[in-house]
Parts: sequence; C-alpha cells; structure tokens
Amino acid sequence: MKPQHHLDPATLVSYAAGSLPEALAVVAATHLGICPHCRAQLRDAENVGGQLLEQQIPDQAEASRLARMRLTMLDRLDDPALAAPSPVPSREATTTTVDPDRLPEPLHPYFGSSYRALRWRWVAPGVRFLRAAGTRGATLIMLKIAPGKSMPVHSHGGSEITQILQGAYDDALGHFGTGDIADLDSETEHQPVTSPGVPCICVAALDAPLHFPGWLARTMQPLVGL
Amino acid sequence: MQAVAPTDKVSPFEAARIVSAPNAQSGNVTSWSNEMAAVAHSRDRASFMRIYDHFSPRVLRYLQSLGCAEMVAEELAQEALLRLWQRADSYDPQRSKLSTWLFRIARNLYIDRIRREPHWVDTQDWIEQVEASAEAPIAARPAASPDAFADHVALQQRIDALPAAQARLIRMSYFEARTHQEISAELGMPLGTVKSTLRRAFLKLQLAIGKSA
Repeated sequence: MKPQHHLDPATLVSYAAGSLPEALAVVAATHLGICPHCRAQLRDAENVGGQLLEQQIPDQAEASRLARMRLTMLDRLDDPALAAPSPVPSREATTTTVDPDRLPEPLHPYFGSSYRALRWRWVAPGVRFLRAAGTRGATLIMLKIAPGKSMPVHSHGGSEITQILQGAYDDALGHFGTGDIADLDSETEHQPVTSPGVPCICVAALDAPLHFPGWLARTMQPLVGL
Repeated sequence: MQAVAPTDKVSPFEAARIVSAPNAQSGNVTSWSNEMAAVAHSRDRASFMRIYDHFSPRVLRYLQSLGCAEMVAEELAQEALLRLWQRADSYDPQRSKLSTWLFRIARNLYIDRIRREPHWVDTQDWIEQVEASAEAPIAARPAASPDAFADHVALQQRIDALPAAQARLIRMSYFEARTHQEISAELGMPLGTVKSTLRRAFLKLQLAIGKSA
C-alpha cells in the first residue's frame, strides 16, 4: 500500500515544529505510520528544527544562571538514581501480521483499538460518525460512509485533513484510496463520492467548523455539531 | 574548553567565560557523534559536559521562546540534557544530527509537559519504530561525514537567506509553536497564504538537505 496523496509540507513543518493542534497531529501521525515519503519529509523538517536550535545565540546576561544550572547538572551526574543509563523502554515489536480489526496506533487513545468495537452514531442515511473527546481547539472525528454515497458539498473555515482507513472516495481533487490523506486548504470546496464495494472509513480533523451549503447541511450541522 | 571535574566550583566570571569561549566544536556536527560515542560507551563526563555547555543555553532559549516560565524552562532544559546522558546509546548518528535529536527531545518534553498532550510521545515512538522496521536509515549521509557537514552549512545559509516573511513564519512555527490559524489571526494573513508561505520556505530549505536535492 503506497499512498498517492501526501501531507501538505506546511502541515509537516508544523507537525515537526510541535505547533499543529492535537487533532490534526493525530490524523497526520496516522498517515506518517504508513507513508515512507512523508516520514522522510518529517525528518527533513525536524532537521530544520535542529538547525534553528543550533543557531540560538547564548545570552551573555544568562551567564550566572547557566553556571548555576551547570553545577546542578554535575550534582545530578553524581546521583546514581538519575545518572544511570536508562535505555528507551522497549515496546512490544510492531505486529508483522496485519490484524484487519486493529485501528492504527495513534487513534487508540481517542477511539480504542478495534473497528468492531466502535459505537457508530447515525447522522444521515449511509453516514455514521464518531467524535473524540478531549482534543482542544480542533475536532477529531471518524466517519463511516456507505459505498457509492455522495457527501454534501462543503468547504472549510479552516483546515481539514482526512486519512482514508478503509475504502475510497473520489472528488474534484482525484481518487483517494486506503492510506491516502487529503490535506485541504480552507478555499477548497469539494463533494466526496465514496467508491462502490466497501464502506469508506476515515479519520478527519477540522480546526474550524465545516460550511455546508444546501439542505443536507442544515440537517447535518446541528446533528454532527461541527 | 577544559573538562570540569564534578567538584569544581565555577564562579560567575568563569561561567561567563564558559558561555563566551569560542567553542571549537561550535556548529561542527562531525565531532558531536564522537563525543556521544564516548558518553554512550564509557560514560565520559568530560564529553558530556562539552555537549552540555554547547547545547544547554540553546535548549533553554528554545524553551523560553515557546513561552515556558523561567524556572520551568530551566527544569525542562536540564531534563532534556540529562536524557541525552541517560539515553546516549540510543543516539544513532546515521539517522540524525545531534542538534536534531536534541530538538526532538526538547520539543517532546514541551508538548508532553506544557501542552499536556499525553499521547504525543508514544505516537512519536511508534512512528520511529515503524520507521526502523520499514526502511534502511533514511539519512543517506552519516552525520560524521564531510557531506553531512556541507549539508549543515548549506542549510544554515538557506535559513539565513529566507525572505523576511518566510523566515518570520518559520520562526513563529518552530519557536513560538503557533498554529496556522494563530499565525493567520496574528498577522492578518489569509490561512491559505500562511500555508503557501510555509510550504515555499520548507521546499527551499529542503534543497539544502543533500538527499532531497
């Protein structure tokens, strides 16, 4: 599975910089887990962070403070409890067998680990959704859309990023299959149509309310609370 | 710079000298991996303190620019450097420069402790694990190679040469942890322009990183 649609470099920069809202970072991480191309980009963006760190000029006025910190550090190195090597805790090796019921790791804290255990809420014919609690400033949702279903035309007040977990959809921007990410600008107005066959399951983050024109919008917006 | 034994007393004056002394290693990515190897294999304090003297003021400034209160920034900077001491053996110069490795440690501490996003660190570990099992080391150029040093200089030059608007947005992203929305609101710049400016800046900087050129 090689994704064809990648993260916007602007999103990657903010991810690397630690300045992406949590909900967007969760969706980006879900994509990063399966996309070598975006992982390489992420490492480049972190490299920029390292270089910017290197470029910080130490402040002469801080000299006495730094000297005090230095002494504290030397003390800590003398403390066996603190100074002992602490190897990175080895986590269970990534499972090589793909369990089709297992959600991607970054989603576990928000939605649990099993597709079967998800308790979908009905929003409209053929459309079910789930909303994660506790992400500040942006909304994190999962959507399950029946095959061959047309979603309402909508645009965004902010950013929307959507990772396709299962199934596929098409819109004016192209074909989005399993593993692809749609990282959209606020100007984009689109109308996804899910592919026939299997339902399309995706995880999406929105950092501003969606704007739906038309009747379905008026039906959906209060229900979904987006 | 002299290695300082644990019992040494450092007067404020000497401390000033420590800060201002031209560091032979300053910016020289090639030697840090040797110092790190000495820390990892023989718990070499002198090597560690050379790393500490170079990086701790930088990490401290970074954390302060993110808006950490003075004492908090101090504590997190110490923790970042202590982690470098504790986990030196997991540093792989084939994969990243030391400054990048430390940047990630400091950033992760900030997101975990200050922003209180408890799942961030686990997720980054997971991505690293996937990376380790999925591909050969992505840095085609070991940090200790002349090529890597050339990359480092080229990246520095590219950062310095960024147009003012791009430099400002890069700075707001990395050093003030501002989201696209916040940058847009603060500068009165449309969100789309914020993104396209960041995108252009990053693509320019990437040209300096050998493997992407």
